[in-house]
Amino acid sequence: MAKKVLLVEDEKNIILGVRTCLDAVGYQVEIVEDGEEALTAVSKEHPDLILLDLLLPKVDGFEVLKVLKGNPATSSIPIIVLTAKAEEEDRQRALDLGADNYMTKPFKPQDLWDRLKHFLSE
Amino acid sequence: MKLANLPKPVNLDTIAGNLADAVFMIDREMNIAWLNKRAEEFFNISFEAARGIKITELTAIKKMESLIQDVFDQKEALRCSYEEASVKVKRLNERYFFKIAINPVFHEDKLWGALVQLTDVTRFHEMEKIKTDFVSIVSHEFRTPLTTIIVGVEMLKEGMLGDLTPRGKEVLEAIISDCERLNRLIDNLMELSRIESGTIYVEAEATDVTDLVQEAVRPLKFQAEKQGVELITDLPPELPPVAADFNKAVWVMANLVGNAMRYTDPGGTITVRVRQRGKRLFFSVEDTGCGIPKENMEKIFRKYVQVSGPGRKGAGGVGLGLAIAKDIVMAHGGEIWVDSEIGKGTTFTFTFPVYQGDQSVILPEADRKGV
Repeated sequence: MAKKVLLVEDEKNIILGVRTCLDAVGYQVEIVEDGEEALTAVSKEHPDLILLDLLLPKVDGFEVLKVLKGNPATSSIPIIVLTAKAEEEDRQRALDLGADNYMTKPFKPQDLWDRLKHFLSE
Repeated sequence: MKLANLPKPVNLDTIAGNLADAVFMIDREMNIAWLNKRAEEFFNISFEAARGIKITELTAIKKMESLIQDVFDQKEALRCSYEEASVKVKRLNERYFFKIAINPVFHEDKLWGALVQLTDVTRFHEMEKIKTDFVSIVSHEFRTPLTTIIVGVEMLKEGMLGDLTPRGKEVLEAIISDCERLNRLIDNLMELSRIESGTIYVEAEATDVTDLVQEAVRPLKFQAEKQGVELITDLPPELPPVAADFNKAVWVMANLVGNAMRYTDPGGTITVRVRQRGKRLFFSVEDTGCGIPKENMEKIFRKYVQVSGPGRKGAGGVGLGLAIAKDIVMAHGGEIWVDSEIGKGTTFTFTFPVYQGDQSVILPEADRKGV
């Protein structure tokens, strides 16, 4: 069965780009556009991996990380942060909160595929 | 021409007292012997009360002590850049920035003390910060749209969104290469705004020179090969480690080699050399490129300055790389310079100190954000 990826992103164009990217290699994609929705979607959709933006409406990405990685029921789901925040402090903070990987925008599709493969291979 | 009559009596007090700068005269023990009105006002102290107090105590500017001591030792005026000489002063929850000038005072050919002058540069500092923040925001805002473009174009190129004509492919390659250029620009702007806002520390650790050079050169080897340029590294064995921030030092080296590559024609050579002289290591990047005209050699380390060599208009640079490289090298206590001859080639050289035990160099205090 196709692996399910939850994309948490509020920029329409990025959503289109990432979705196209994931469709091309056969992942199933669920999309939510703010942090609050992300938290509900995780328990409903049981994604195999989460792609998480940091600057999000309502609940920001750091908070989403904290909640998901602090909860034993969801802490094992790999989370790749996908963000325009390139500062070292942000990267460190995200990794400290349990992010499995940190990607800065812009990125190339190949970068994303490689990382997804790494975290989703059996 | 008829001169206006001067008010009488004109004496030192009239002149010094009305200066916009705070001025102190201190003795060899750094005790205040005299101060002007502006100094009294700013530090909220009367002339009588200030006399005899140590200047570092009154102003609470810690670094002043070593600066004054330097002037006493050298018997020469303080000569340093704006960044080095500017300090932060806290008064009633307000922050001020001052530029310090220190001049030795002699009496009967003997060093008596010094004249310390504080110029308020707070406003200038604020403007710098606004500019730095703006640059940071702009570079940040560029990343999101650029992502959409890069992802889309790459997928088109891979044929994942349908077939392309050969001409279409060519156009996409051009778009990709310009996206990479934009991306480099954004990275450089970010790096510069980080350095200017002082949110980064240059942490000088014992850094292995071979590692440093290899890390910088390796990613460029492939490009050099493709371009038909020979990339040589010349490192004598058993060099001591340098006191450098590894990533920043690699950045400087990679930037210089990248530059050399942009200005070197196929068949040319780029040589990366490291030599030790005393307590410093000299890193040089020599190319056989077109050379830099004399009148441009000083300018190239300034921000946003681009110069074009013969037949090379800008060659895709953004005019920030060398400015950043200079900031990084100087923050390590090193130097950077260029030698060049038109038609023969260019050599950039920078120095890093040999590692001498635990030490960390940080950027000037006054330029650090949030202090």
